[in-house]
Amino acid sequence: MCIQIEEFRDFYMQDICEQYKDFSTRKLFFIFLLVVVLFGVVLIALSQGASSVGFFESFKALFGQKTGLAHAIVWKLRLPRIVMAILVGCGLALAGSVFQAILKNPLASPYTLGIASSSGFGAVVAIIFGGSYYSQYLIAGSAFFFALLASLLILGIARFKSATPETMILAGIAIMFLFSSLSSLLQYMGTVEEVHEIVFWFFGSLSKVGWKEIGVASAMILLPVPVMLRWSWDFNLLAAGDESAKALGVNVTRIRMFGVIFASLITAAAICFTGVIGFIGLVAPHIARMVIGGDHWFLLPASALIGGILVLAADTLGRTCWAPQVIPLGIVTSFIGVPFFFYLLMKKKREYW
Amino acid sequence: MKKYIITISILILFFCSLVSTLGITGQTTERKNLSIRDATGRSVEVRLPVKRLVVLTSDALEIIRALGAEDLVAGVYSDIADDPLFWPKLKDKPKVGSWKGLNYELVVELNPDAVLCYAQRPGRDMEKKLKPFGIQVIRLDFFKLDSLEKEVETLGRILEKEKEARELTAWYRYHLNHMREMLRNVTRRPDVYIEGDSNYHTTGPGSGGHSMCALAGGHNVASNLSIPYPEVTPEWILMRDPNVIVKVTTRSTCDTCYTMTGVGALKNIRNKIMARPAWDHIGAVKEGRIYVIANEIWTGPRAIIGTSYLAKWFYPDFLKAFDPETLHKAYLENFQGIKYQGVYVYPN
Repeated sequence: MCIQIEEFRDFYMQDICEQYKDFSTRKLFFIFLLVVVLFGVVLIALSQGASSVGFFESFKALFGQKTGLAHAIVWKLRLPRIVMAILVGCGLALAGSVFQAILKNPLASPYTLGIASSSGFGAVVAIIFGGSYYSQYLIAGSAFFFALLASLLILGIARFKSATPETMILAGIAIMFLFSSLSSLLQYMGTVEEVHEIVFWFFGSLSKVGWKEIGVASAMILLPVPVMLRWSWDFNLLAAGDESAKALGVNVTRIRMFGVIFASLITAAAICFTGVIGFIGLVAPHIARMVIGGDHWFLLPASALIGGILVLAADTLGRTCWAPQVIPLGIVTSFIGVPFFFYLLMKKKREYW
Repeated sequence: MKKYIITISILILFFCSLVSTLGITGQTTERKNLSIRDATGRSVEVRLPVKRLVVLTSDALEIIRALGAEDLVAGVYSDIADDPLFWPKLKDKPKVGSWKGLNYELVVELNPDAVLCYAQRPGRDMEKKLKPFGIQVIRLDFFKLDSLEKEVETLGRILEKEKEARELTAWYRYHLNHMREMLRNVTRRPDVYIEGDSNYHTTGPGSGGHSMCALAGGHNVASNLSIPYPEVTPEWILMRDPNVIVKVTTRSTCDTCYTMTGVGALKNIRNKIMARPAWDHIGAVKEGRIYVIANEIWTGPRAIIGTSYLAKWFYPDFLKAFDPETLHKAYLENFQGIKYQGVYVYPN
């Protein structure tokens, strides 16, 4: 009898292990597929532009000759744009999934916690009060500073009370409203040109990024990634509820606090040079979750890749379909993200969250 | 009994109101009415005389001063405080708000005959709010070169300053004709890329900058785009390879140009444009034909001066003797009654 049960257990354990492996392979395959798609979009983006530098010329310029117009176009104009698009997309998607995990809320995103609106306020402050020092770096720096300020405010409030998701989300929404009305106030005070500049900043644009900006942004976006991946099991356990996670040895408060800080850092780095492209942060994690489920070890890289693909595709579409006019990035991301999101939402039969 | 009292009182009220409306209409028919076409293209009746004005735009204020009607101004837009040296006599007038919105109580208290503002801003509700107080709204833009002369004439008629308005329009026309005359024999028009305050936002058809560029004999590289202020990619600009690049800057990037003494701020902007990635392949950058121009002499009453600078930059050899700065000086001293000073372009 006893032996029978053990055999029985062994049999099922084996089965579960195999099932898990099977699942993992499928998830890995999906991530691999995403990498391939991203690579494909990069190739398309690299060969599209206003100039006559086409598919093969762009590769020749990429690896071959070191001077000339084609080289300058590919290396100084197209490639920085592509790299930044991927970085921003990955960053926002990653930040979005972390926010959704630690706040246990499907609506959490850099927007919900007021990070985006406060960094927008930072940009507005720089545009209105920058005076003769007004420059892209001032705007980026100020946007970054205010994004972190917002997250510190949320953490402060959470520390005072308790770091429950509800407190944080409510504090975040309050902060969002505070900063957006502050932005409106400053816009109201601004001149026509300042208001224009602010509106353009909120649209989001990749035209102004070069390699220097990419260096700064990539450091801030990529450095927290290993930590996030290390915590992916803790994120999984958080889904079972704070009490269960605590019982299983997760330091819930610490994860939540540092999660907010890291995710804000990533968000701030992603949007400070390019403007608000907030929607990706909400939608990319959901798309990934619908396909491969809630295991963060796979979910984090998958949603980052989806974010990168979406932003790069949106930017390429935005700068080519109505060339030479550029349709602002923030607008196109919603245009291609929302229908895709709806499609998955309708197709999915079971509750995925 | 009660019924009678009510009926009688209603009758009395009715007669009172009848008498009062008759009185008012009697008064208005005595005054002269002037039919004008405003900046929105509508025909508007203006009651004359207009002797007290609230002015919401700097463009309109500049024209009013050029017409010698400064003493009719009872209230001004609030931002005038940023530029006190340019407006020595008007800077202390009551400040009522801006094109974004105004303090109606203050306007009513000032009791002007009319409020002067842009065609679109503030919105139409302004007319509704001010009508009960007998305050008219006159919408004139004064920022499009094409319609400037007509609008100046219209304002001259409203303020009964026809002679001054004729002088100003004659001055405009003289210099426009002069420029056309000078540019009659040019053969090859240079390709020009114009950029507004925001980087990579150019000016297409329908914008003031586009018509100024055409007037100055340049070919706007964005002339076949479909929106007035589109964002374009740096790669596209690189491909169009403009001969001249013009960057328009506003107060947010340089302090008010009238009080500026050094070229530092404008030079800084120019250097940044030259250092943009891959732009060393553009002809204009190679030849150093990048010019920064202040918004003060761009669209607006002084667009003619900005256009003169454009012409000078487009045809440096041809227009060697032509000096837009003397034009600007003459305008400020003769029409505005203030000393010429400040930095408006770089390099000069």
